Amino acid sequence: MITQVIMCMLATAAFAILFHVPRTEYLCCALNGAVGWITYLAWTAHGAGPTSASIWASLALTLVARILSSIRKMPSTVFLITGIFSLVPGSGLYYTSYYLIMGDLARFMGKGTETLKIAGGIVLGMIFGLVFPQSWFNRLGKAAGRIRKRGGGGR
Amino acid sequence: MPASKKVLNLAISIGEVMLQSGGEIYRVQETVSRVLESYGIQDYHVFVITNGIFATVHEEREDAGSMVRYVPIGDVDLQKVAAINQLSREISAGECSIEQAYERLSQCRQAPGASKWALILSCGIGSAGFGYLMGARLYDSLFSFLLGMLLEVFLLTAAHYHASKFIMNILGSALVTAGSLILYVAGIGIRFDQVIIGGIVPLLPGVSLTTAIRDLFGGDYLSGSIRLIDALLAGMCIAIGVGAAIKAFQMLGGGALPL
Repeated sequence: MITQVIMCMLATAAFAILFHVPRTEYLCCALNGAVGWITYLAWTAHGAGPTSASIWASLALTLVARILSSIRKMPSTVFLITGIFSLVPGSGLYYTSYYLIMGDLARFMGKGTETLKIAGGIVLGMIFGLVFPQSWFNRLGKAAGRIRKRGGGGR
Repeated sequence: MPASKKVLNLAISIGEVMLQSGGEIYRVQETVSRVLESYGIQDYHVFVITNGIFATVHEEREDAGSMVRYVPIGDVDLQKVAAINQLSREISAGECSIEQAYERLSQCRQAPGASKWALILSCGIGSAGFGYLMGARLYDSLFSFLLGMLLEVFLLTAAHYHASKFIMNILGSALVTAGSLILYVAGIGIRFDQVIIGGIVPLLPGVSLTTAIRDLFGGDYLSGSIRLIDALLAGMCIAIGVGAAIKAFQMLGGGALPL
């Protein structure tokens, strides 16, 4: 579990480099990736299927991305794009293609549907996360700014 | 050039950089409007889709201006999105004159990204890490790491020759699959499926999917559908590449390979 989270953070930070995220935000991107994956693991551990786990994980990820974006004064895309990669169903895509080539049509249909369902789950979770009004997050950003000022440091 | 045209050109150029680097439609639209307003233009119309920006200012006056920009979908460069976001904030706070803004924009355009070696290395780390999350052993991840680096070398070379995205996705995933199958046949005891899954992660359309949702959610249905189609096609291309490579190996091995 801990190895998984560390690997997830490493991989997400690596993708942050790949998408030219500003240097100061690598850690926050990694953090957001970890939030998504921990949520996913927690839900699958309690017996949820990959689709519903993806919904909750992408919801958590979107909310944290928006919180981070208002605190760090960055566009939320920065955290969202890098964080989402741990959930994108790459293995589903592979097995769908593999079963099609092997002529195993029953499994092909099963995996194909599952892959589409997971992608739909990510979409659904993200939409739930985007529903909350921006003003709530702005207030959080202002509070963070006040704390930073009181500390005397910051940017 | 009348003043209104100069402001319009600045606003659209700012929007262009943002759109090309992976900004969402509503963000680009907001940024262009904000820049126009900050320089005293109240009467304007801005329309943004995934690969174009259209804008007019002062339609009923002497110094009317209109501009259209074609913006091809570019590589994601979040550093530019963040920098432009910051620039537009300063412009609307009135801290930046038009000349300074032009200056900042051209700086932003030329801002150096990470070096090629950093990109190659991080592509490998990403492949290995996400492969591990999807159930690979550490031993398999090691080979995903190598194939991920190979993939990025291929992608950088292909981008240099302006290869189309379809070709890049198909050949890229075929390359990863072939590499992994060769290693498997060489008998070093890897699980080839896990290695492939890790290796193709950098090709997955995560960016298109995310941007599609944000565009659809912002009410930009046309742009959202363009992105969604982009994501679906990229997924299909990857599947084609993987499938073709496996099929080729099957035929070469004459059914003797335990794939």
